Amino acid sequence: MAEKKLLNGLDVEEIETALNILRAQPDRSNAPKSSRVRWTSGLQFKAFVRNHVFLVDEPAHLTGADESPNSVEFVLGAYGACLATGFVWIATRRGIAIHNLEVVLDSTQDNAFTFIGIDPPDGHGHSGLDEIKAKIYVQASADEQTLREIWEQTLKTSPVGNSLTRTVVIEPEIEIIP
Amino acid sequence: MAGNGLPLYPVTVVGSWPRPTWLLEALRKRQAGQISFKEFNEVADKAVLEALRYQDEAGVDIVSDGEQRRDNFYSFVVEKLEGVKLMTLADIMDLVEDREGFDKILRSMDAPAFSIRNPTVVDKIKPRMSLSMDEYEFLRQHTHKPIKIPLPGPYLLARSMWVKGVSDAVYPTQEDLAVDLVQILRDELIALRDAGCEFVQFDEPVLTDVVFNAGVKERTFMCASMSASSGDPSKELIFATRMMNSITEGVEGIRTGVHICRGNWSRKDDVLLNGDYEKLVPTMMGMDIDQFVLEFATPRAGQLAVFDHHRKQREIGLGVVNPRTEDIEPPEFIIEKVDEALDYFEPEQIYLNPDCGFGTFAERPMNPAELAGQKLRTIVEAAEQLRAREG
Repeated sequence: MAEKKLLNGLDVEEIETALNILRAQPDRSNAPKSSRVRWTSGLQFKAFVRNHVFLVDEPAHLTGADESPNSVEFVLGAYGACLATGFVWIATRRGIAIHNLEVVLDSTQDNAFTFIGIDPPDGHGHSGLDEIKAKIYVQASADEQTLREIWEQTLKTSPVGNSLTRTVVIEPEIEIIP
Repeated sequence: MAGNGLPLYPVTVVGSWPRPTWLLEALRKRQAGQISFKEFNEVADKAVLEALRYQDEAGVDIVSDGEQRRDNFYSFVVEKLEGVKLMTLADIMDLVEDREGFDKILRSMDAPAFSIRNPTVVDKIKPRMSLSMDEYEFLRQHTHKPIKIPLPGPYLLARSMWVKGVSDAVYPTQEDLAVDLVQILRDELIALRDAGCEFVQFDEPVLTDVVFNAGVKERTFMCASMSASSGDPSKELIFATRMMNSITEGVEGIRTGVHICRGNWSRKDDVLLNGDYEKLVPTMMGMDIDQFVLEFATPRAGQLAVFDHHRKQREIGLGVVNPRTEDIEPPEFIIEKVDEALDYFEPEQIYLNPDCGFGTFAERPMNPAELAGQKLRTIVEAAEQLRAREG
């Protein structure tokens, strides 16, 4: 059997094969995803996504058990991972070996107090993220201009980034179980 | 004359030199286990000769090998000691509890976890080979000039190599590790002296962290000191002095120095420590050391007047150029610094050097080699003018 060609730990041929399969299925471009989140106790929740499960908690200063990041922290971690994923994906498809990569993010919220009830929700801003600083440190076998181009492309195409910066339509519903 | 055949105001280096990219590639391969120690050193030999060429062209009097074989000024001990493993902060963050503490410090350093590699004690330490004899012997074959060998100081090694959650299985405390560290460094000093080395400099940058972050028990990566301090500056400084003196006591026939800086791994001044040496002078004076190699080229270092009550008692390796900036300090600037130092030191006691090395961490040099060479040249020009002035 021919040896797999790996770059950055990825099977390059497998990537192109996967892309060819998806190319032939344009209806999959909206990439549906789902999750189920169950309350366990206090401020702790279990999130189920496909066959994975992870905890969501709150920090101790908000009376949580602090056994996991909170929801907003997961968003930040998700954005960082999304950027890192994008960078690795694009670089690999361009044949560039990455030696090390790390994304560091810092964020603030417009007014977190509206979420926890210190401020009323109307007229006092909103509880969402208002600014995220995202810095990537990368060591790779490519010149600086190429790496900067890949970073620009990563930022532009990041699914989480686009979710954060574009308006997402949310359709809420509640069902009360007797 | 300064003594030992050296001219007045001898010009030297603090240690590290920018690494060429082909050396960094070899270093990366060595760390990944793709090439042997011998194969790496064949590449490093060429880099050392390059670093020596820059020093010779500038006219430096006491040369170093530019620490070209070293990942940084202290983590190279991994190759030389058994029981020590080079772990990136990324690796360590997987094992320790206080990840948030480490992350906070990485942010203050503006550095990624993967770029900070730390020699971490994972077993009883003992020499696999000499720490630096290979460096000395190679350089000796290629120069007749006096050679300076920088070594990590005992306090730096104790603070950086002992990591709670990893090392305490072997050495319950830093003090337990210190016993073995002191013996290894003392044996190294004596061996270098016996081989003909003229100058050994012990690097102790963490001492400024002790006095400027007094009372803070958090870890700091002021040059990546991993272990939390006791938080009591007096206790830490006494510990550091005791270790140093245990190494140097009774060892004659070689010049010893201690280099204490505030960190020169970033061009961003706000991530580096600042403050004068006043709180450290008593500790320095308590050390059985010939020369204090200090930074005085920038305002953050404070004034030489801190030696007012200890005039003319030791030598000073006067830091007169900033390795992190692109501007080349003119000789007049350096001469002014020397004139100020002459209030506190005899001319024969003053050596001239940059504030710090030019490549503290191999992958983050502060300047390219050409510019570093120009910085050395300006120091030499100043020294020549000073010598002419002295007649």
